[in-house]
Amino acid sequence: MDDHTNARQLNRRTFLKTAGAVAGTAALGLPTLLRAQAPTVKIGVITPVTGPLAEVGQLQRLGAQMAVEAINAAGGIKSMGGAKLDLILADTETKHDVARTEMERVINAGAQLVMGGFHSGSVSAMAPVAQQRRVPYIIDISAADAPTHSVAQAVREGKQKVQYVYRIFPSSSIFGKLAVKYMTEIFRETKTSPKRVVVTYTNDAFGKPQAASFVEAAKAANPGWEIVEVIPYPEDAKDLSTEVSRMKALKPDVISPVTRPATAILLLQELAKQRVDLMGIISPGAPGLYEPRQREILRENIEYVMDSTIWHNVKSPRAQKIEEEHIKRTGGKNLGAEAGYGYEAILVMADVLERSKSADPDAIVDAIKKTNFTGGIMMSTGPIRFNEFGDNPNAATAMIQILKNKPIVVWPKDAAQAQVVFPRPKV
Amino acid sequence: MKWAWLVVVALLLALPAVLSSYAISVFILIFFYAFLGQTWNIVGGYAGQLSLGHAAFVGIGAYTAAILARDAGLTPWAGMFVGGALAALLGAVIGYLGFRFGLRGFYFALLTVAFAEIARIVTANVETTGGALGLYITFTGDPRGFQFASNRPHYYIALAFMLLATGVTAWIERHRFGVYLAAIREDEGASEVLGVNSFKYKMLAIVVSAFITGMGGTFYAFYYLSLQPNTVFGIPLSVEIVIRAIVGGAGTLLGPILGSFLLTPLAELSRAYFSRGGWTGVHLIAYGALLIGVVLFLPQGLYPYFRRLLAWRSRS
Amino acid sequence: MDLTLVGQGLLNGILFGGVYSLMAVGLSLIFGVMRVVNFAHGDMMVWGMYVALVLAERAGIDPYLSFVICAALIFLLGALVQRTLVQQIVEAPHAMQILLMLGVALVLENVALVIFGPDPQRVQSPLTMATLWFGPFFVDMARLATFGVAILLTALLYLFLFRTMLGKMIRAAADNNYGALVIGTDVNRVYVVAFGIGAACVGAAGALVSAFLPFQPASGLSASITSFNIVIIGGMGSLIGAFFGGLIVSIAESMGAVFLSPSLKEIVSFSLLILILLFRPAGLFGRRMT
Repeated sequence: MDDHTNARQLNRRTFLKTAGAVAGTAALGLPTLLRAQAPTVKIGVITPVTGPLAEVGQLQRLGAQMAVEAINAAGGIKSMGGAKLDLILADTETKHDVARTEMERVINAGAQLVMGGFHSGSVSAMAPVAQQRRVPYIIDISAADAPTHSVAQAVREGKQKVQYVYRIFPSSSIFGKLAVKYMTEIFRETKTSPKRVVVTYTNDAFGKPQAASFVEAAKAANPGWEIVEVIPYPEDAKDLSTEVSRMKALKPDVISPVTRPATAILLLQELAKQRVDLMGIISPGAPGLYEPRQREILRENIEYVMDSTIWHNVKSPRAQKIEEEHIKRTGGKNLGAEAGYGYEAILVMADVLERSKSADPDAIVDAIKKTNFTGGIMMSTGPIRFNEFGDNPNAATAMIQILKNKPIVVWPKDAAQAQVVFPRPKV
Repeated sequence: MKWAWLVVVALLLALPAVLSSYAISVFILIFFYAFLGQTWNIVGGYAGQLSLGHAAFVGIGAYTAAILARDAGLTPWAGMFVGGALAALLGAVIGYLGFRFGLRGFYFALLTVAFAEIARIVTANVETTGGALGLYITFTGDPRGFQFASNRPHYYIALAFMLLATGVTAWIERHRFGVYLAAIREDEGASEVLGVNSFKYKMLAIVVSAFITGMGGTFYAFYYLSLQPNTVFGIPLSVEIVIRAIVGGAGTLLGPILGSFLLTPLAELSRAYFSRGGWTGVHLIAYGALLIGVVLFLPQGLYPYFRRLLAWRSRS
Repeated sequence: MDLTLVGQGLLNGILFGGVYSLMAVGLSLIFGVMRVVNFAHGDMMVWGMYVALVLAERAGIDPYLSFVICAALIFLLGALVQRTLVQQIVEAPHAMQILLMLGVALVLENVALVIFGPDPQRVQSPLTMATLWFGPFFVDMARLATFGVAILLTALLYLFLFRTMLGKMIRAAADNNYGALVIGTDVNRVYVVAFGIGAACVGAAGALVSAFLPFQPASGLSASITSFNIVIIGGMGSLIGAFFGGLIVSIAESMGAVFLSPSLKEIVSFSLLILILLFRPAGLFGRRMT
């Protein structure tokens, strides 16, 4: 009886999917009528490929594309008859009104799952559409808690029936807690006792909450060191000499910056120029402190800098293979969080689809809630799963340090590739 | 011509029945930006005072309603008017400073930019507004909170806003107020000599424009559900507003509407087309080239051609 | 208040002012002569930076030498833009000019994005990390060099405008367009040269800051706004005004960073702008605008 029903259902679903695929591709004008014969699951990938966050958005997209190629090559979604994953690409232009419209366009073109965002404004604009159109949306990168938390709250208060928005990226508080933990452990390991930490951050939608969660976590943990001052600077700053003069006057042992790539260049240069005497620079989680172009530009000024940031699990053979491919396809860029999480989001979706056996939104949400995925490639303290907010409580960071101009994982010990160097040697 | 308007409006009201949600969202953008262009038109087109900081009014309306909803539980349907009032207040300040001190043309424009930028920086550094992180509005889909379960109601509201702004502009055009503004725009010195109190009418124009724009800001806040100082006070938004009005024909009733109906779908199509191929940035090059083309070949905007088209059609 | 901090802030402000000055000098020329609002100014500067980058990485030329080439190339860019586009709309209302230049800005920014990608860049130069120490104070050599070259270029421009035939024609066209026509000046040619020179200035500025200022395609807009601020404060159409305007704005921002919160420092220059607009719209050094 069950087999009979399943066979019928499979035929109907296949037919609908095929029809949907044909309609969708016809709408996009792609000559993929050949592909429309096999079942496909359409996934929308909406990232900022132009605008100020273009570097990130392009890598996110690449990660997703690489993952889809790998999964399709391995036979697609086996529980759905080998259904292949098909990506619908979109660009938020780093603007959230565009993000919202792209979400609509992608869903209109047949996307059954969506991933992407990055900029919290874009994510917030896209989440309600996911809820309204009942399309599961997995946020691969966004440190803002508001999108998932607000949907969870609405569901709790009965204003929404089902939560369709989930996030695999670590929340701000995870960043803060782990940064404090790693720093304290590293100080213990190297038998040092820095006392004064100065925090400085880019005053934008990422820097502010990131810095805030670090400060909060430090207060809660009450370690042997304290944050003596917090100095924000404008995100489009062209000159940080006064800010660094201020930092220098505070006589810090450690500076903890939350930067963006452009300001990271300014900051690290300035710290070196003003000969600020430090035991080390340890970021609680920021871009701009490990990318190849940044390392190329900053050279010796980026040596020994540490960043407690999202990273792939270097000990995982799968992650290593992906990194090799990534380096090839980007002309030398190491696997970073952008492509890493893009890749991982597709892996999670594939796992979800294998278990939901269908592209029906509620079946997918059911499968998402039961997720206990150990095949991830990013740092974590356990399998990927989703809590009552739709967040992944096991997402984690790693402390990387630039040694001999390469980003090396130095903490936690079991994920480390080399010994941590602290304090940094005097010039 | 009145019946032509009614036919068009009836058509627009009926459209959602046959449109996909994506197309509806594009129309929402068209209506909303036409609305913004139209409110700008009152100051920039009719009164001839180039404002490049209109985003400030959007931002104030948006943040005010959002903060009042969050902290005082005030429904945005009412918060809209408070936002509009505060925006009007800022408009009055800018107008007073600009007009009292005799700032014209590019200088007035720069004044508006300065205010918008200050508003942006202040908003990015103050706790109540969420600072640089911005404000997030919980998605509930509750109509009392100015949210809905689908985007159709937003379509109708955006359409209503566009019609409201157009109605106000039409009223201005047909009454003395509009005549005075035109005189001021063409030759302020001469109109003063003829007894027109240019200061009073320019002030009126900017205050009215600011008020309505502020109300639109509330729509923005509760449609996108997140506000960031850079987006909502930023120069790019001010520019988008101005572009539609100018491309369509500043100082004409249909100008902003025509401009939005042309530019918004064009931007959509070119992004959809180019994004697919993964050619990042090409669609913006196309958009820039389009702007250049419009200025070079359609300096009065689209409106004169539209009029000629209508005249030709009605003659034959 | 830590006096060392204030003193260093003042020094930094003065040195960085050289950068601002150079950015503003070119814009002042363009607006002074043609009354054209060049919203693509910042993007031309960014292109100057990219040219410097290419020259440094492919030909190994230090930006403090290659700025001459950058200036020449951006001169051509400016002249081209003027000849093909701006020429057509010199009589048009300001709104149209702004729209045109915005279109140009968009094209410039995104062509840079397509060619160079979105990552921040900075050019390597031995001066980048060089500093000179005087007790508790330090002087950033790269900024000092930029400051020096900025003064030099401004002086050269001054000589050009006041001592050469072409320069005088440009000034004549600026002061009295009709009159210049009457005496037979080829006004169009004058405009092309003026725009080109204005662009060359900002292209050189770009090259000169590329050694210590990270840049991306999207950096153009804020550079344009800053340039406008400075030119208004210093005085449209006045070289001295643009030069000192740059210093004043830079020092004001630097003091803002010292006394207020650093992230608020831009409010200082915008507030200053408003004050100037209201009380002295010709700018601190400008001539009365007719």
